[in-house]
Amino acid sequence: MQELIPFIHGNISDVLGSIKFFMPEIYLAVLFILVLITDLIFGKSFWQMAKIVACAGMFFVIVKDLEQVSLLLADAEHGSHLFFSNMLLLTRTGIDFKFVIDVLAFIMLLYFDWDDSLAAHPKGLGDLYSIVIASLTGLHLMIMAANLLSIFLGIEMVSIASYLLVAYRSENSFSTEAGLKYVLFGAAASAIMLYGISLLYVFTGSLSLFGNLLPGLMNTNVLPVSFALVLVLAGIGFKLSFVPMHFWVPDVYEGASTPVTAFLSTLPKIAGFALLINFLTPFLYFGNWGGFDFRLFLSAIGILTMIAGNFAALLQSNVKRMLAYSSIGHTGFALMGIVTFNQQGITALVYYLLVYGIANIGALLLASYFANVTGAEDVNDYKGLGLKYPVASVSFVIILISLTGLPITAGFTGKVFIFSAVYGVYQQSHDIWLLLLMVTGALATVVSLFYYIRIPLNLFIKRNENISNPRNNSYNLLFLSVIIAVLLVLLGIFPGMIVKYL
Amino acid sequence: MVLPSSLRASFKYITLLATLVQLCMSVWLYLNFKTGAAFAGINHESQFQFVQKLPWINLDLGTMGKMQIDYFVGIDGISITLLVMTSLVLVIAALASWEIKSNLKGFFALFLLLDMALIGVFCSLDFFLFYIFYELMLLPLYFLIGMWGGARREYAAIKFFLYTLFGSVFMLLVMIGLYLSVKDPATGNHTFNMIQMMNPANYTPGSVFSTLSHQTIFGFPARTVGFIVLFVAFAIKVPVVPLHTWLPDAHVEAPTPVSIILAGILLKIGGYGIIRICLGIFPDVASSGAFWLGLLGIISIIYGAFNALAQRDFKRIIAYSSISQMGFVLLGIASQTAEGISGAVFQMVSHGFLASMLFFLVGVVYNRVHDRDIYNFRGLASLMPKYTVFIMIAFFASLGLPGFSAFIAEAFSLAGAFKSGLLPQWMAAVGAIGILFSACYFLWTLQRMFFGTLSLKGGEVWKTAMGDLNAREIITLLPLALITLVLGLMPSLVFDKINDSVLALVNFTQNIVR
Repeated sequence: MQELIPFIHGNISDVLGSIKFFMPEIYLAVLFILVLITDLIFGKSFWQMAKIVACAGMFFVIVKDLEQVSLLLADAEHGSHLFFSNMLLLTRTGIDFKFVIDVLAFIMLLYFDWDDSLAAHPKGLGDLYSIVIASLTGLHLMIMAANLLSIFLGIEMVSIASYLLVAYRSENSFSTEAGLKYVLFGAAASAIMLYGISLLYVFTGSLSLFGNLLPGLMNTNVLPVSFALVLVLAGIGFKLSFVPMHFWVPDVYEGASTPVTAFLSTLPKIAGFALLINFLTPFLYFGNWGGFDFRLFLSAIGILTMIAGNFAALLQSNVKRMLAYSSIGHTGFALMGIVTFNQQGITALVYYLLVYGIANIGALLLASYFANVTGAEDVNDYKGLGLKYPVASVSFVIILISLTGLPITAGFTGKVFIFSAVYGVYQQSHDIWLLLLMVTGALATVVSLFYYIRIPLNLFIKRNENISNPRNNSYNLLFLSVIIAVLLVLLGIFPGMIVKYL
Repeated sequence: MVLPSSLRASFKYITLLATLVQLCMSVWLYLNFKTGAAFAGINHESQFQFVQKLPWINLDLGTMGKMQIDYFVGIDGISITLLVMTSLVLVIAALASWEIKSNLKGFFALFLLLDMALIGVFCSLDFFLFYIFYELMLLPLYFLIGMWGGARREYAAIKFFLYTLFGSVFMLLVMIGLYLSVKDPATGNHTFNMIQMMNPANYTPGSVFSTLSHQTIFGFPARTVGFIVLFVAFAIKVPVVPLHTWLPDAHVEAPTPVSIILAGILLKIGGYGIIRICLGIFPDVASSGAFWLGLLGIISIIYGAFNALAQRDFKRIIAYSSISQMGFVLLGIASQTAEGISGAVFQMVSHGFLASMLFFLVGVVYNRVHDRDIYNFRGLASLMPKYTVFIMIAFFASLGLPGFSAFIAEAFSLAGAFKSGLLPQWMAAVGAIGILFSACYFLWTLQRMFFGTLSLKGGEVWKTAMGDLNAREIITLLPLALITLVLGLMPSLVFDKINDSVLALVNFTQNIVR
């Protein structure tokens, strides 16, 4: 005990000095407690209070995110800052990711109780808001993790919140099944990842990505190291839902209530990409890392994911299930941005993920809208609704076009940025895998059009004489989806509005 | 779109007015279009006319330099004639939209969106802008065919959409490749400017599409791959046999105004793209691959003609005849002589008018009795004399009778093919035989449907339904008939405008190849 005393001073000053880099997360933690207390006080009579508090709080968190930009510029000379004894890493890209996540979370918080089936929950949705805020803290940790332990911690924090969200409306047996499935898959994935982490620790005696981990790995046999790395990547892959870690996705997305699906298909996935970037960065900057070829591995996975996701989506007729498979396809496409391993690719990726997130939330929002208004959940139930609900249907078309990646929507510019980043690398390295990735990406676009277009096809082109009258008018959902559609077109015409800040 | 439904009747007039204004503007451009070697355009930015260039997307991407995308439009000799043709055909299509009865607001909104995209394609000189307009056409067309089309409209619409998208996503890859290979000498940025892409000096050494570095993709020379990808994208639009199978379905299922736009304008975008982009940016590959282009051209001519012979649906005959006629465009382009390319452009203009006329005429019959089977009609000449006159003009013009525009066009294309050192002589000869076949199916149809004693499948009901042309239809058809005649007698109306540009293009390609 005695010999540790000299270190206490240094440790305390490190912790105190780190706090200013941790402000958004502290705000989130405070917000979590606030929402929890609000729910305790108002939960019985007026649970919407929790929503108001959560939304207002998110506003402050976003402001804090943006403040970090100047903090980072003022403090660090390398554009990144390690803190909390090298557990967390704050980078410019990380701030972008946090901003994207918090903006999407804000939209999500608005959206949750507008879905009728979820809002019909007998106990109200007060708890749900505190769960979401807690998971946001976890997402922030994932984005900043720079140590294998903090990576694991972040992932687990998000996972536990996600399990609760999926099973939130548990009177439905399908939802229960989905929740259980998710927990089992998630637990298995965590165990695999933890095994990988412990192997890495055994090889090197270090957990810090930017510390002694890499030099240690260089001195170890390539084969076991690769094995351990694949295990860790599998754990991250569970969050990203790339092939072959995608089997949970369709059932969980279909079983969970629609807003939860929108949450799961965007936020954890985006944070997962940030985590993957953090995890890969030391390997790329560590001079002569020759062990495990990440580019080959991730390219192959990206190609497989695009093919599997898009072709499986062709066969679906449930809207949520189709969007689930298509989100797998999008993961594959986004992996393209990762394998460039350069700043341009990352910028393109952040933009792509932002646009994908907005569009995917928009699509599920409209799925909610149609479920609220007509009870339609299957593509075939959408028959002929386009002429009866023209505003919602036109927004749906725009959002789907953006997901497909056709001009003049933001999805198209995102796709162009990713393609040009990959092309730029290909031009230098002539790596055949990159070319294959691009060709697969182009093909995937054509395939994805084929299933996305089935929604407009049913909305507008198929005729249906007996359309029942609307059950209720979800004007708030409609309003939000119109804003999203307009935003997507605006970003499609002027992508510079966002990209110049990335 | 914000107009209330009470103004439903006015939509078509608003659309008509918009297209008419557009026509006036394009005619004004045509009249003010300066000719002469100093205004040839093609590969000199300063020689384009009515240029509008605004910076659009300028992004600083750090190490990769700046991304430069301009809103850059302008026209040269090749665009101007197609522009006039497009705006006239759009007026015709707007007039043909009178038959649309349901959901007018949606129809005309989509129509005007499509209108914007079409004009944009012919004007844009920035590849990114071109691509955006090119893709923007697809969605309105999908809905126009899908919502107002015939019985198999869903199938036809999705087939059209998928075919075109398949071509264009790969075009996107090549476009990005070109973008990263080319640097604007003025600013040092990568650029999407098509005119900069034409100058081999602007390619950065070692880039994928550089003329000097001989990069390979999958073991093939990169520039050849790029050319083929772009060519396939445009060939789907033209369409060139074997990529044509969307066309008969889309044309037959589409409502008349959309058929007119498809045949009159859409197909020309393919041809225009091949001239402007494939030939302009990859002249070296175009000349070494001229044989194959020519071969595809004559296959289209012959195959389209044979298929037309085998049809009994009036609209399908015309659809296949379009394939056959567009084959001449490809043949003319492949020759890469001044005559051939002039002929190709002329053929595009002429076919634009003729195809609109033919589809409009089919629409007239179909609207009256909702049947297009040739065997169900006989002796219409006695019932509808005015209609028959227009049909005869359209048919004789299409089969290349001297005095009509198609004759000049086909003659020039064939002359180019004979003269060209790149194509064997037999190709031109086979092309000429193609004209013979087109005479066969047009004359057979004419004889089967219009001559002989009157006998209709629907009996008396049809007889009363088949009134002769009304005033609106005559107003629509008359200018088209006059134009084909005038262009046949005074081809200089087109040739004067395109000549300098075509010569510049031919010189340019030959210089590069050497």
